Amino acid sequence: MTQAAAHPYHSYLAPRGGFWGVIWDWATTIDHKKIGVMYLFTILFMFFLGGLAAIAIRLELLEPVRVAADGTVTGQLFRVPGGDIAANNELYNRIFTLHGAIMVFMVIVPSIPASLGNFCLPIMLGAKDVAFPRINLLSWYIYAFGSLFAILAIIGGGVDTGWTFYTPYSTTSDPNHWRVVFMIMGVFILGFSSILTGLNFIVTVHKLRAPGMGWFDMPLFIWALYSSAIIQVLATPVIGITALLLTFERLFHVGIFDPSMGGDPVLFQHFFWFYSHPVVYIMILPGMGVITDIIAVHAHKKIFGYRAIAFASLGITAVSFLVWGHHMFASEGELAAAVFSALTFLVAIPTAVKVFNWIATLYKGSISIDTPMCYALAFLFLFSIGGLTGLPLGTLATDLHLHDSYFVVAHFHYVMMGGTIIAFIGGIHHWWPKMFGKMYNETGGLIGCALVFIGFNITFFTQFILGANGMPRRYATYLDKFQPYHDISTFGSWILLAGFLVHLAVFVHSLIAGKPAPRNPWGGLTLEWETQSPPDVHNFDHEPVVTHGPYDFDTVVPPYCDEADFPLPPDVGGAHH
Amino acid sequence: MTLGEGFWTKLWLGGSAGTKTGQAVDDLAIWLWWFCAIWFVFLMGLTIYFVIKYRRRPGVPAPRSRSHNTRLEIVWTIVPTLFLIYIFFAGFERYMNNVIPGANPEQIDLVAKKWVWSMTYPNGMTTAQFEKIDEDDPSEYPVFVVPADYPVELRMTSDDVIHSFWVPDFRLKFDVLPNRYTSYQFRAEKLEETDPVDTQGRRYRDHLIMCAEYCGAQHSDMLGILRVMSIEDYKNWVQTGGVNLGELTPAQAGAIVAKQKGCVTCHSNDGTRKTGPTWKGTADGTGFGYEVPIEGDGTVLFDDNYVRESVLTPSVKLHRGFPPQMPSYQGRINDDELRYIIAYMKSLSDKAPKSLIDDAAPPGEDKP
Repeated sequence: MTQAAAHPYHSYLAPRGGFWGVIWDWATTIDHKKIGVMYLFTILFMFFLGGLAAIAIRLELLEPVRVAADGTVTGQLFRVPGGDIAANNELYNRIFTLHGAIMVFMVIVPSIPASLGNFCLPIMLGAKDVAFPRINLLSWYIYAFGSLFAILAIIGGGVDTGWTFYTPYSTTSDPNHWRVVFMIMGVFILGFSSILTGLNFIVTVHKLRAPGMGWFDMPLFIWALYSSAIIQVLATPVIGITALLLTFERLFHVGIFDPSMGGDPVLFQHFFWFYSHPVVYIMILPGMGVITDIIAVHAHKKIFGYRAIAFASLGITAVSFLVWGHHMFASEGELAAAVFSALTFLVAIPTAVKVFNWIATLYKGSISIDTPMCYALAFLFLFSIGGLTGLPLGTLATDLHLHDSYFVVAHFHYVMMGGTIIAFIGGIHHWWPKMFGKMYNETGGLIGCALVFIGFNITFFTQFILGANGMPRRYATYLDKFQPYHDISTFGSWILLAGFLVHLAVFVHSLIAGKPAPRNPWGGLTLEWETQSPPDVHNFDHEPVVTHGPYDFDTVVPPYCDEADFPLPPDVGGAHH
Repeated sequence: MTLGEGFWTKLWLGGSAGTKTGQAVDDLAIWLWWFCAIWFVFLMGLTIYFVIKYRRRPGVPAPRSRSHNTRLEIVWTIVPTLFLIYIFFAGFERYMNNVIPGANPEQIDLVAKKWVWSMTYPNGMTTAQFEKIDEDDPSEYPVFVVPADYPVELRMTSDDVIHSFWVPDFRLKFDVLPNRYTSYQFRAEKLEETDPVDTQGRRYRDHLIMCAEYCGAQHSDMLGILRVMSIEDYKNWVQTGGVNLGELTPAQAGAIVAKQKGCVTCHSNDGTRKTGPTWKGTADGTGFGYEVPIEGDGTVLFDDNYVRESVLTPSVKLHRGFPPQMPSYQGRINDDELRYIIAYMKSLSDKAPKSLIDDAAPPGEDKP
């Protein structure tokens, strides 16, 4: 595809005007690429805040809080004069709430769709932009505005309800304070950002595919974004309504959830998980999509079972709405528990199928062991542990033991962090040359990946053992017998931190001194690799026409690549690009 | 030897379960552990093997291979499905057995509130026994005696927020809700020769109680000890083991009431600052007989009437600098108990008047 350029190349990153001109240009941009980059940096900033809270949590748990006979207090992270244990515990509770709320609502939910998705989706479809570019910009402002509410609640002293806001605790604690209301309003506002992004993606996928691109010619990353966009549009309104009801109850004392006013606290849990269970699939589906694309490109191999993966995404979407009750096995009757347990096992099937497909894709590939591929392998490793440890949690007999223990904490960190965040970082490396036109230091990337992988496992695998041995979650202090495991976990968190700092250094170094990136550094076949790095303002210098599938590595030499680097199998006369 | 014993049970579950039905859960848990471990090693072994074998070599094309195989894909969908069906039914059966272990159980009422468990036995007795759990932790937690090898049902409710009653050794927890009763049933294992014997010659076995649903500042202090004894010892303990408060001095009785009602969770007797003010009365403290600064403006004298008012309507005169955390005890404390508590507070203060009578000896008794 070496057509004459229809118009001269203008990088979307090229500054327009002076300092204020650039600020104004970015603040009012309706370019999906710039919005994606703005999302990327805001999300990474929130990840940094949530990560600091995580380090503080692990530090507090290095030692149990003990008051000696002479009144000296040990094991407090926050030494309060006079040995005020309750104040230390309350601060701890605020910090884990902060960690959970930031990481879930402001990092993991928007992470891949809003940043990588916004950047890649239109280009991968061969479109100039998303269907509603202005709404896209609006969604970023709503995200920033909602985050501001949450940050105000934190600056004002924080919230100690846990990110789940369970009633009646969340409606009765701190009765004179406005912070819980601010936090909940933040979640309410953030929901609109999520809905608008989802809506935009659905319409873009339906309407703006390039000529020649059928549904089954789309990259699987797009299928994953499409599936999670459906959940974003359908499930997010429920958390919005729940947040409003909770606010009404707190401000106007309407008895909905608080039993002292005739409400039902378990009703809140149903509402909350009716959103918050599907939301874990909003989190993981895009991660699965990123991994599918990374594995195919970096193993240079046609994906195994394309349709199975596409339909597994839709299958997970459908079942995700039917399993919320498995968060309440310890508060619902036997019949409901049995039904929700059975439905929960249904989700395991499409998930297992995807894992088998990824591994089968590696078979007879040409696997490049680089940073994105290492992240994909780390994802397979960690997500498999996360998925398999879901079995004892979906199983009724064992869940009633493991529920609300550190086992659950470890499980969802393996799925959300070992799944979504690992895929997110892998995806950032994969698309970094395209987004910024600069290569990153490969050795640095691999060192960072190794540290993150090792640190992650030390931090969280110990928590499986802690939980199964009887350590409940959200405890500010604990019995002596748990201390060795807590200490190992805390040491692991420092290695994890070191890994992220290495990545930060690699990214900064790349932006300042990275080598210019070619159009197609990895030999990909999807459309984003056909345009410049960084892409033109209008994405393409010509309207792209799709002539091959996204993963036809055995019949097509990747565009803008040397055939010597990506030779075709000998029995095929090349359908050259 | 079943799966639910030995090294892996020790590593994963800290030892064998304290009930027969819990041991059946252990068997399944350890079976699941091996199931997951084998699948994991198989899948990751395959992945690592492929990555090494098919790593990129410059100039060498990837061999041609299929990207779709209907038969293989059907097999790897059906096989996990069959396993999952088995796991669901195995889990459901053990769950039903574990939550309802026997008919006609001994019923004990359980009330949870921030941050203390209390149980009322069929004769109206509530425990007066409090013990330490960890050697280096001076806090004491309530001890609840239950009969061995006999079905027991706890009828549970909460006075404030949601709590969750978890005895890890029974592999079972259930939420304790403020607006309804929930049930927690178990049948503790028979006592063995290897179990310890207490100072009164009673054989016993202790299980830890924990709150598993986040309930606020001292969520992690909401612990208890579930003590299994023979049926005879249980009956005996319920009759006499709970101390008769009338046989103690009011101050001694007050110390016990303060634990039973959960006062000590927030109020220390040694000057330590907890959620609420300490009861120790010294010149730099705020105990009985001293002027207390209150929220808003001014001070109030810490006397009998201030205690009474603060227990029944805590929000009226809040001690300045403390959160409005205390629930009202209206209807939950009787006049005798209130009197005992006031006597106990006086005994902790250097400003309370000293009596002519030595308060160590209760009327007509040699020992407490």
